[in-house]
Amino acid sequence: MSTSLDMPTVPSLPRVSSMRQKVAAAVPWLGWISLAVLLVLPVLGGSRYLVYLGTLIALQAALATSLNIVMGYAGQFAMSHAAFYGFGAYASALLVSAAGLSFWAAVPLAMLMAGVLAALIGYPALRYTGGVHLALITFAFGELARLVAANWHTLTGGPMGMRVMYAPAPLLGMDFSSSKGLYWLAAGMLLACLLVSVAIQRSRFGRGLVAVREDETLASFLGINVVGYKLAAYVISSMLAAMVGCAYAPIMNFISPELLSAHETISLIGVLILGGIGTVAGPIIGTLVFFGIPEMLRVARLYRLVIVGVIIVLVVLFMPKGVAGVLRDRVERWKRGVA
Amino acid sequence: MDLIQTLLDGLMVGGLYATVAIGVTLVFGILGILNFAHGQMVMLGAYTAFFVVSSGLGFWPALIVGMVAMGALGLVLERLVFRHVLTDHMAGLTASLGLIMVIEHLAAAAFTPDPRNFDPPLPGSFQLAGLTLSSQRMLVLGLVVLLVVACYLFLQKTRIGKAIRAMGQNRTGAALVGIRISQVTAVVFVLGSAMAGAAGVLYGSLFAITPYMAAAPLMKGFILTVLGGLGSVPGAVVAGFLLGLAESLGSRYLSASFRDGYGFILLIVALLYFPRGLFGGRAGLRV
Repeated sequence: MSTSLDMPTVPSLPRVSSMRQKVAAAVPWLGWISLAVLLVLPVLGGSRYLVYLGTLIALQAALATSLNIVMGYAGQFAMSHAAFYGFGAYASALLVSAAGLSFWAAVPLAMLMAGVLAALIGYPALRYTGGVHLALITFAFGELARLVAANWHTLTGGPMGMRVMYAPAPLLGMDFSSSKGLYWLAAGMLLACLLVSVAIQRSRFGRGLVAVREDETLASFLGINVVGYKLAAYVISSMLAAMVGCAYAPIMNFISPELLSAHETISLIGVLILGGIGTVAGPIIGTLVFFGIPEMLRVARLYRLVIVGVIIVLVVLFMPKGVAGVLRDRVERWKRGVA
Repeated sequence: MDLIQTLLDGLMVGGLYATVAIGVTLVFGILGILNFAHGQMVMLGAYTAFFVVSSGLGFWPALIVGMVAMGALGLVLERLVFRHVLTDHMAGLTASLGLIMVIEHLAAAAFTPDPRNFDPPLPGSFQLAGLTLSSQRMLVLGLVVLLVVACYLFLQKTRIGKAIRAMGQNRTGAALVGIRISQVTAVVFVLGSAMAGAAGVLYGSLFAITPYMAAAPLMKGFILTVLGGLGSVPGAVVAGFLLGLAESLGSRYLSASFRDGYGFILLIVALLYFPRGLFGGRAGLRV
């Protein structure tokens, strides 16, 4: 280490120009405006393909946003997200087609069941620090759920999957039977997940989760109920996954056990890592990049997933904060006038 | 008679699970990396054996080639990826998830999803004390016990085995007494991957080989890693045999279609009441 005499060891605080602070404060708003534009774009475009693509991306972004609550804020590795997504799809489809409930009654019911299930799985695993137990138990649970869906022929139709023949009833003057209507359903799911995510981030609960993520022991010293907080984050995130799953069924008209496979969760984790884990914009940026690039490359599905895997490994090794994390750091530094 | 046969079957399957679990628990206990791609090594080991046996070399070379090839792959992955994420649980886990996607889908592209089989070295069955025993299953049971004992002796008796255990207890302390951490890391990874390769060859000699076969053994391996106590090799082995017995008794006398569920129930019960596992190596810290 060389020392230079004329350089002060502690850098004096640079004078922060108020202009820079205002511009930096406007960045999140810029993000929200671009999101609004992106959401409206597929409908205005008029191309059926664009509406379909928009629906898929909105669903994936909603899932990634809900997974971000437990992984990004609470720092717990939940491998069961796709299982709850599939659970929501199967549960709502069965409630509608077999039990005769309306779609809007089936959604909260499916979410409630998912919440109870998540609490039963999460409690034994989350009592220990480190998060490894949760990763192990949720992976095993996800595989078990997939096997149940594939083998319970009378209920789920087995590995051949299940046809879904209903559209959600009109709500608040919105008609959900057309492809555009279903797009708005998916977009609504994304907005609901974002709303919950932002509300959590700004609340005392959210700050508590971040404290738990950074240091569980220290958090418990601060009077935070560590197990309760982790469990609440896991349950909320799983319930939101089930909610998005409810929308999946009428949109795709088809559910198969593959929906519950660990690969779906791995893709979502890749989306989070790439976009920036623990940020509001990260899951959405990650989804756009993840699904946008392969869509542009027009490669076969098989190689798409290989590319996804390579991206995950490279991002972990070279850009662990993700796109949104890097952007945030840049804005922060610029605001302080360092760069 | 029926009971004894079921028990032997359970021991055989349990031994296979244990062979997978040893690799997972070694890499996790010593290096702190939860390697989800371990199951893919099992799958690649099975394919290696399939191609070696198909080329006419026979089962025994296949077993050796499978172990060596997977050990080499483990070395490559350790040098390229895992050594850079050693101290970070979450980064290591995520990187291994990325590797799953790459390995599994490349395997599906290269080998096609069709299930494959190769001829076991000992076809047929033999009679012993009134029992009809499948020769290949008994051979697998014998090989599994051999592998487990060899692995145990390696860790207990050899110099490098002692270095591995020292590193598992305290990485900094091990470095201070002159153990070359990066070398030991590589050895652990190679050893774990070779065990996965061996498990794959044995799996392949009994069951169908597909690019997607990795999930079930990996799930069992994880369950055993927790059941045996995170990072404890003897714990993983004992838990493996117990799980095999539970599954085979459960599917014989309760319900066969719920076979994969028994292990999961064991896991939940263990986490609730025996959180340190059977041989509680690294106690879960509670807050």
